[in-house]
Amino acid sequence: MEPYAGIVLQDAYGWVRRHPRAADGLLAALLLAASAGQLRLSPLSAALAATSVSALLAATVIVRRRDPLAAFAAVALLGAAQLAFGIHPGGGGPPVHALEPTMADLAIAVLLYTLAVYRPRRISLAGLAICLLGAAVAVARWAPVHAAHAGGLLLLAGAGLGAVVLAAWVLGDSMAYRRAYYGELEDRLAVAERARELQEQRARAVDESAARLRRIERDLHDGVQVRLAALAMNLGEIKENLEQAPGDDRTLALVGAAHRNAKDTLAELRDLARGIHPPVLDRGLGPALAILAGTSAIPARLSAAITERPSPAIEAMAYFCTAELLANAAKHSGASQLTIGVREQDGGLVVTVADDGDGGARLVPGGGLAGLLERVRTVDGRLGLDSPPGGPTLVTVELPRHA
Amino acid sequence: MPPGLRIVIAEDAAIMRDGLTQTLTRRGHHVVAAVADAESLRQAVGEHRPDVAIVDVRMPPTHTDEGLRAARAIHEQWPEVGVLVFSQYIETQAAADLFSLAPAGVGYLLKDRVADVGDFVDAITRVAQGGTVLDPEVVRQLLSAGRRRDTLAGLTPREREVLSLIAQGRSNAAIAGTLFISPKVVEKHVASIFGKLGLAPSDSDNRRVIAAIRYLES
Repeated sequence: MEPYAGIVLQDAYGWVRRHPRAADGLLAALLLAASAGQLRLSPLSAALAATSVSALLAATVIVRRRDPLAAFAAVALLGAAQLAFGIHPGGGGPPVHALEPTMADLAIAVLLYTLAVYRPRRISLAGLAICLLGAAVAVARWAPVHAAHAGGLLLLAGAGLGAVVLAAWVLGDSMAYRRAYYGELEDRLAVAERARELQEQRARAVDESAARLRRIERDLHDGVQVRLAALAMNLGEIKENLEQAPGDDRTLALVGAAHRNAKDTLAELRDLARGIHPPVLDRGLGPALAILAGTSAIPARLSAAITERPSPAIEAMAYFCTAELLANAAKHSGASQLTIGVREQDGGLVVTVADDGDGGARLVPGGGLAGLLERVRTVDGRLGLDSPPGGPTLVTVELPRHA
Repeated sequence: MPPGLRIVIAEDAAIMRDGLTQTLTRRGHHVVAAVADAESLRQAVGEHRPDVAIVDVRMPPTHTDEGLRAARAIHEQWPEVGVLVFSQYIETQAAADLFSLAPAGVGYLLKDRVADVGDFVDAITRVAQGGTVLDPEVVRQLLSAGRRRDTLAGLTPREREVLSLIAQGRSNAAIAGTLFISPKVVEKHVASIFGKLGLAPSDSDNRRVIAAIRYLES
C-alpha cells in the first residue's frame, strides 16, 4: 500500500506544482466552505455580509502570488477590523456579526506563509510580528468574554494561534530557502551547460581553423606555387633563348631580373606555406617531429610513442610548439644535445624538450615561452618549465587528444 | 645533345603538365604520355617503358604522397626506368627513403627547379641515364642538421662544397666544372672527405652519392 500512497501523494504534489492557480482556487474554496456556518446567521443580510467578508479573505489567497505584500496587507487590515469590531469584550453578541472571526481567517496564515516565501526575510518577519501581535490582542479581547473559563484554556488558545502563525512563517521561510537553493542549483547547472557548449564550440573552431590552414597550404602549393613555377619556367626559357641569340642586352637583363624574382618568390612561398601547415604533418606527428629533429641546429634525439593519432589541430600545435622550443634552445640554451619526447598520458599528449644547456629560462611576458603558453591554453593545455640556473632545461607541454 | 629521351609526365596541375611537355618537346625529347594521377602513371610506364618518368609527389586522390609511392613501385618493377620525383616542398625523410631503396636512376627535385630550364633538363637526362639527382636544398638541410656537426666541422669549406655536390649526384667532371678546379683536385678532395668521414671510397658515382646521403641522414 505504501508505495501506492506515495505515488498518489507525489502525483497530487506534482499537480499542485503544475497548476498553481487552480491549487490556490481550491484552497480558497476550502476556506470559504469551512466558514459556511455563517450562512445560518439571520437575518439574511447579516449572513450575506459575513459570507462576503469570508469571501474577501478567501479571495486574497487566489491573488497571493501576484502581490504577496498587498494581499497580506489586505488580510491584516481585515483581521484588525475583526479584532476591533468582531469581538465584544463586554460580553453578549458582537456588534458586527459580519466581522466575527471565522475559519476563513486561516487565510492570514496562508498569506504570512506566502510573504515568507516570496519576500525578503525582514518583510516576512514584520508580517510575523503583526500576526503574533494580532493573536495576542485577540486572546486579550476574548479574555473578559470567557472569564468563566480557566486561564489555562485561554493560554492554550493563545499558544495555538501563535503556533499556527509561527508554523506558517517557518514553513514559508524554509520554502524560500529551498527555492533559493534550487535556483542556485539551476543557475550552476546552466553555467555548467554553457561551459560545455562553449567548450564544444571552441573545439569546433580550433578544428575548423586547423582544417582551413591546411586547405590554404594546399591551395598555395598546388595552385599558386605551380603557376608561379610555370611562369618561372617560361621566363627561364625566354632568358635562355635571348642568351643564345645575343643583341638585346636590356631585355635580357630585365628578363633575368624577372626570372630571379620569380625564383625568390617561389622560395618565400614555400617557407610561408610550411609555416602555415607543414605538409609532412599529413603523415603523422612522429614523422613530422623526426624531420624537426633531423634538421635541428643542435643535435636532437627523438623518442616518439604514439599509438593513436590526435586530432589534426592538436598535431599541428604539438609540431609548432616543438619547432619553437628547438629554435629557442638553438638561440639561447648553449646546449650540445637535445632530447624530444612525445608520449601519451592520461588520454592526452605530452611533448617534452630537454636540453643540456645553461638553464635559467624564464617565462617573461611577450617572450617565446609565454607565446607558447598562450597557444597551448587555447585548448586547455599546460606548459611546464624546469630550468634552474646552470641547467639542464626541461619544457613539458601537455595537450588534450582533441581540442 | 643526346638523342631525345622518351618521357612520361605525371602531374595533376594542367599548367605545369602542359608547360613541361612543351618545354621538353622543344628540346627534342618525346613526351610519350602526360597523365594526372598515380594509377594512370603506372599504366603509362608499363605501356611505354620510357627512359624516365617525372612524378609529382602530390596527386589525386589524397594529395599526400601518391607520387612517392608510385615512384618506388615503378622503380622496383622496372628498374631500367629512371624516376624523377618532383615535389612542391622539401621532405628530407622522403628523399632519403627514396634513395636508400633504389640507388640508380633516381632523382628528387623541388618543383621550383623547372625555373632553370637547362639545369632541369640536365637533371632529367642524368636520371634517365641511371644517374642520381638530389635537390641542393635537401642536401643543404642534411648538411646543416646538427647530427653530424662535429665530423663535418673537420672538413674544409672547399670540402664541404664538394660533399654537397657529391650528395646532389654530381660526377667529378661536373664538380670540377662547377667549382672551376681540375678533376685531379676534385679527386683529392673526395678522397680526403671520405677519409675524414670514415666512408669507404667508391668508384661509382651512384654508390658515392648513396654513401654520402646515408652518412648525412643516419
